Order: sequence, then C-alpha cells, then structure tokens
Amino acid sequence: MIAFFITFFGAVVLLFIGLNKRESSFSIFAAGILFLSAFLCVASKFGWCNFGILESWVPANMMQFSPEQLLFMGLLSFLTGFIILSFRDSDIIGNDQLALMMFSLCGAYMMVCYQHIVVLFLGIEVLSIPLYVLAGSKKDNIYSNEAALKYFLMGAFSTGIFLLGSAFIYGGTGSLELELMGIKPSFMHAIEGMPIPVLINAGIILMGVGLLFKVAAVPFHFWAPDVYQGSPNRTTVFMATVVKISAFIALYRLLNTFVGIKSNWSGWLSILATITILWGNLAAMIQQNVKRTLAYSSIAHAGYLLIFILIADGTNAWILWFYGLAYGIASILVFSISHQLYNTNKDDTFEAFNGLAKSSPIVAIALVIGVLSLAGIPISAGFVGKFYLFSFAWQSDPMLVCTGLVGSALGVAYYFKFIKHAFLKVGEKSPVIKDRGILIFLVLIILMAGVFPWILLRTFF
Amino acid sequence: MSSLTIFNQLEISHYIYLSTVLFSIGLFGVLFRRNAIILLMCIELMLNAVNLLFVAFSSYMGDSDGQIFVFFIMVVAAAEAAVGLAILVLVYRNTRKTDVSVLDNLKG
Repeated sequence: MIAFFITFFGAVVLLFIGLNKRESSFSIFAAGILFLSAFLCVASKFGWCNFGILESWVPANMMQFSPEQLLFMGLLSFLTGFIILSFRDSDIIGNDQLALMMFSLCGAYMMVCYQHIVVLFLGIEVLSIPLYVLAGSKKDNIYSNEAALKYFLMGAFSTGIFLLGSAFIYGGTGSLELELMGIKPSFMHAIEGMPIPVLINAGIILMGVGLLFKVAAVPFHFWAPDVYQGSPNRTTVFMATVVKISAFIALYRLLNTFVGIKSNWSGWLSILATITILWGNLAAMIQQNVKRTLAYSSIAHAGYLLIFILIADGTNAWILWFYGLAYGIASILVFSISHQLYNTNKDDTFEAFNGLAKSSPIVAIALVIGVLSLAGIPISAGFVGKFYLFSFAWQSDPMLVCTGLVGSALGVAYYFKFIKHAFLKVGEKSPVIKDRGILIFLVLIILMAGVFPWILLRTFF
Repeated sequence: MSSLTIFNQLEISHYIYLSTVLFSIGLFGVLFRRNAIILLMCIELMLNAVNLLFVAFSSYMGDSDGQIFVFFIMVVAAAEAAVGLAILVLVYRNTRKTDVSVLDNLKG
C-alpha cells in the first residue's frame, strides 16, 4: 500500500512542478521515488517497517498485500525506475510524461494485488488509459498517432471482452471475489458427472482472452508490432516490460483461482502457448526494423511465460518473478542502447548498430550481454529464468518444453543479428552514447542474477 | 395488464441472450466498420451490453456487487471515450480523415 501512496503522490508532485519543463533532474527525482517505493515494498516484506495502518484502509476482500505481491510490486517499481533513468534524454517534451507513466504503474500495482474483479478491471484501465496518451505523445508524428489509435481501439475492445467474461463468471459463480469465485466450480468438478456450467467456462475463456490481448499472445498480438514501432521508445519499453509482466501476474492469479477445473482451460492455453512461441520467433527473424524485432521477441517471451501460467500451482510464483526480472532488465538494456543509436543515426533498422564495437566497445559488450540474456545463453539471467521455467514444466508438459527449446533455438538467429551488425559490419558514424554508468549497472544485475541466482532467490523467497 | 405480465415471464436466460446479442453486434461493428467514431460507438455498445448483464445477474441473485461494478464500468467508459476522442482529434489534424484505413503506415 505504501508503494501506491509514494508513486501516486510523487506523480502528482511531479505533474505540478514539472509541467512543460524538461530537465533531467526531474527524471532523477521520479526514478528516486520509484526506487524508494521498491525499497519500501521489500522492507515491508521483510518486516523492517510496518504499514499496517495504510493497509487497513483497504477492505481485505478488495486488495491483499501478501509478501509475494509486495515483491512483485517492488519488481515493477524497480523496472519503471530504470526505464525512466535510462531514457533521461527522451525526445518528448514535458515531465507530465513521467507522471503519466507513474500513474500507469499504480494501475499495474492494482493488477498485482487485486482480490476482487472490480479492482482488477480498474487496474487494467488505470494502466491502459495513461498509456494511450503516452503512445500518442509525439503529437505531430503520424506513426505515433497511428500507434495511439490502434492501441486505444484494441485496448477498449479487449476491455469489453474481459468485462463480458467477468459478467459470465459473476452469473456462473455468484461472486466477484477471487477467493469465493473458484469454490463453486471446483466443488462441481469434484462431483462425478456434473458438468461445469457453460457460463463459467465461457467466462474463463473471455477473461483470459481480455488479458491475453494485453500480454500480446498470438493470435491477439496483431496490434503489438505496430504499436511498439510507432510509440516513443520509452513508452515502448514500458509496454514491453511492466505492462506485460503485470498482465501476466493478473492472469496467473486469475487462472490460479480456477485451478480446480484446470483441465477445462489448460488445453486451449497450451495451444496458444505453442503458437505464440513459434510465431513470435519465426516472425522476428524476417524483420528489418529493430523495434519490430524486439516486439516479436517480446511476443515470444509472452509464449514462454504462458508455459508458466500452465504450471503455476500457487507456490512457484518466484519463477515468474525471476523471469520477469531477467526479461525486464535485458529489454531495458537493449532498448536503451538502440534508442541512443537511433538518436545519433535517425535509422531504426539494424544498420544503426554497424561498427558499434569499434566506436564504443563497452556499449557493444553491454549490448551482447543484454541480447544473450534475451536469447537465454548461459551465464546470463535469461538463461537461469528459462532453465527454472523449463525444468519445472518438464514433468507436467514435456511437449511444451520441447516447443520452448525449439523456439529459443530459433530466437538465437535474430538475436545474433544485433551482434553481427555491432561487431562485423563497419559503420560510418560513431554514435554518442551517454549514460554508460546505467548500462554497466544493468549488465551487472544481469550477470549477478545469471551467475548467482540463488543469492537473489534465497534472500527474497 | 397483459403488457406487464410479459415482464414476469422473463427469465435470467433471456437477459443473457439479449446482452450476448447486443455484445456481438458491437463486436462485429468493431471488426467490420471502418469509421473510427462508429468503432467508438460499437465499443460503448459492447460495454453497455455487459452493464445490462451485470444488472440482470445482480437483481437475480440479490447481490449488490454487480450493480456497483456497473457504476465503475460507466465511469471508466467515459474516461476512455474522452481519451479516445482526443486521440481521434489528433489523428484528424494530421490526416484530415477519421477512417481507420489511414492506419497503414506501420508495416513490417
């Protein structure tokens, strides 16, 4: 709860003091607020400080702040802080952008700790509405306008589908509370020969589809490459990391409620996971534009995380946490390097990476580590995340794990395009890369989480 | 008198069918119409079909959660429409069209 307060009031303060001004000190202020809220989440998880008074304001059947939720909130806040820090010189005027991103983060918090479908719905909307504005924040740019309109139409459409699903669930189970929703269907499932009402099955499918639109799983992904390409870079990386991870947490908690009737929804979800992994990786191979490639790569990662949804049993949420951390940090690293190269070259194809190893070797090595982490090569955090995910999924669903391995192998092909262009091609311009410190810090996180994952996991879980 | 007895014969399933049909009209409108303003209206139709269903379930089960949800949906739909129309104005300024077929600049 303290994270809500700090993020929200920090955003309000930022909105008033920083309106239409553009100084990087505001970004540092915003990132400081977010790191503070991440720290306080972790601190209240360990019991170093107690915010029980704030939490008692919220009815326990609306939101819940268990240690797991606090860690997820801390992760989202931490990632957003890094996004704001590494895109300090973003080409969009105005610190209201930062404030909108922080309001959107409040929605992500709501999606993490909801206990009632109303809170989940409000969370999705609080997350999305600032993002529609952020996607269109380059007002004169036709691509940005197009991205905003597409994102808006798809977002509103998926909200409608999600709401129809929740109405069906309400009618079928008689409740909108997460703890009560699952009781009736699993009770019915336990009785031999008693069919689950159509309303409940349809409701689960429709709510799932509404959330799958947000995580951009195939076949609900068609908006993602266009929106990711057209939006400003900082918004794109926010969509690819924070929005995706929070939607996965929401989906995990929602479907975990209906774990009693898992056989009713695991079938179509595993088909979706398979085609998401394969299609995301295959389509990424033929892209020339860096942002579209990263968009398809994020679609492929959504497929891997769908495997997690299928094996989740309420005790292994740490896999999602670790995978989210690894994927988020590596995405921020690669997006921020390509953003800075774009600022120099005004070229958003792979040609922008040409000759990076000659002109700034440190950045090239940081790029390699980020890309290897996304691809899942050993000693990077991405490898450890995938290793945990696949080894836990192996017992229940070996076919899906094989698909995941094939997808990862396909993924190497396009991730190596970055390395090929950076090391083997000769570039004309030497790009100006600022903020080496943050890049090195992100690399250190990736390597530390990749080499000593148990330190991180023992400390937190 | 006879017109009032019709309402007594309505069951919850009628409301489910009605709102599913209304929702489908909105859904197909979003999928097949090309004018962005009509798309917005179709999305509103989808949301209002859901509102009807929530109210019907709520009164059928004697539980007030569904009616409270409807208020939230209406508030959020208004906020969403405000942002959506603002984006539409932005697109109109740059392209002089409100047709979604202008949205084909981004390709891969």
